[in-house]
Amino acid sequence: MNYDRLVNTAADMGNLLIENGAEISRAEESMRRFFSAYGVSNGEVFAIPTFISVSISTPDGRPITAIRRIPVRQINMDRVECANDLCRRICRTKPDFDTIEREMKRISSLPTLPFWAQAVAFALVAAAFTMFYGGTAADACVAFLCGAAIKPVWRLLEHFHVNQFFIYIAASFVSAVIAIIFAYFYAWLNYDKIIIGALMNLVPGIAITDFMRDIIAGDMIAGILRFVESILVAAAIAIGAGIALIAIRTFMGV
Amino acid sequence: MACLWSFFACVAFGLVYNMRGKTLLLASLGGSLGWFVYLLLNFTNNDIFQFFVATIATAVYSEVMARVMKKPAIEFQIVALLPMVPGGGIFYTMEYCVIGNNEMFLKTGLHTLGIAGALAMGILLVSSLFRIGSHPQGIKTEACSCTERKKDIWH
Repeated sequence: MNYDRLVNTAADMGNLLIENGAEISRAEESMRRFFSAYGVSNGEVFAIPTFISVSISTPDGRPITAIRRIPVRQINMDRVECANDLCRRICRTKPDFDTIEREMKRISSLPTLPFWAQAVAFALVAAAFTMFYGGTAADACVAFLCGAAIKPVWRLLEHFHVNQFFIYIAASFVSAVIAIIFAYFYAWLNYDKIIIGALMNLVPGIAITDFMRDIIAGDMIAGILRFVESILVAAAIAIGAGIALIAIRTFMGV
Repeated sequence: MACLWSFFACVAFGLVYNMRGKTLLLASLGGSLGWFVYLLLNFTNNDIFQFFVATIATAVYSEVMARVMKKPAIEFQIVALLPMVPGGGIFYTMEYCVIGNNEMFLKTGLHTLGIAGALAMGILLVSSLFRIGSHPQGIKTEACSCTERKKDIWH
């Protein structure tokens, strides 16, 4: 049994899961099951949303540890699903490590939607939520624009490696400005409904659900981290839209 | 009508999260189910309670769906809960803060916090109940379902 590769593969698997938005408890349990599938009973794993540490001792008492930092996380449920499937298959068939690594590489390169399709999806979210919150069809059209503007801003700032919270501020600022400018020229639009719809794209719904699940599963640190993250993101969104409101009111006197 | 729009919003959000096919549609149905329950309880005039019950409904739906489809529950839950996230509350809180209406700012802010708390409590309740109910057998049933599956990528 190649214990070095076992630890490395387990850490990579946890990395893959957390990077794509799985809960901490799922990642930890997957790694534990992975160890028990290969007959290692003394494996210890610890994961928080930004960090994974995996350690086992070999039969002759030598400890082997691997750690992974996870600087960037995204939400990609398709990959989580495939990785989860992979873990179950590993527990069942105990394949060799080459196969697992090949399969993990395949999962981490599963296609995402192209850039324009993501922008359209954001725009659709904005339009649908505007209607959902009681806007009119005209509001939804403007919200469509606001939502579509978020993705290019996001991509641009990501390209410059800007702090994530600044990205949230900038994205909510841009979409709020578009909404308010439209409302300035066409007074019958409900700018509040438009902004709410557009900002639903950014609201940390995931973080809220995830942190409760983490805390239930007993991962206090992970839960608190995500809770703080969701509070910060909510504050960033509010700041961005707030700046837009103040600026436009001051300069244009809406 | 609002249920329909929440369904579309969920579908679009599922696309953002790279969900595919049946899962996407089922998760979005969970979203409109939650909003339907919310509207159904309109007579109580207590929207924190409405949100609480609606969250319980979506959470139960997603746990059941996760077991039926053998997919992670979080996939359904993330998308289905989105219509209930208090986006409007956050925005109005911010707006009152900006225009300096402190009384309304505190009022809406606390109300928004209450809604978020209701969502969190709903999820917590259902998830822990499902954990109590299914965890010990969870491993066993998984082993069974493993042997049942014919398709295997390793060979």
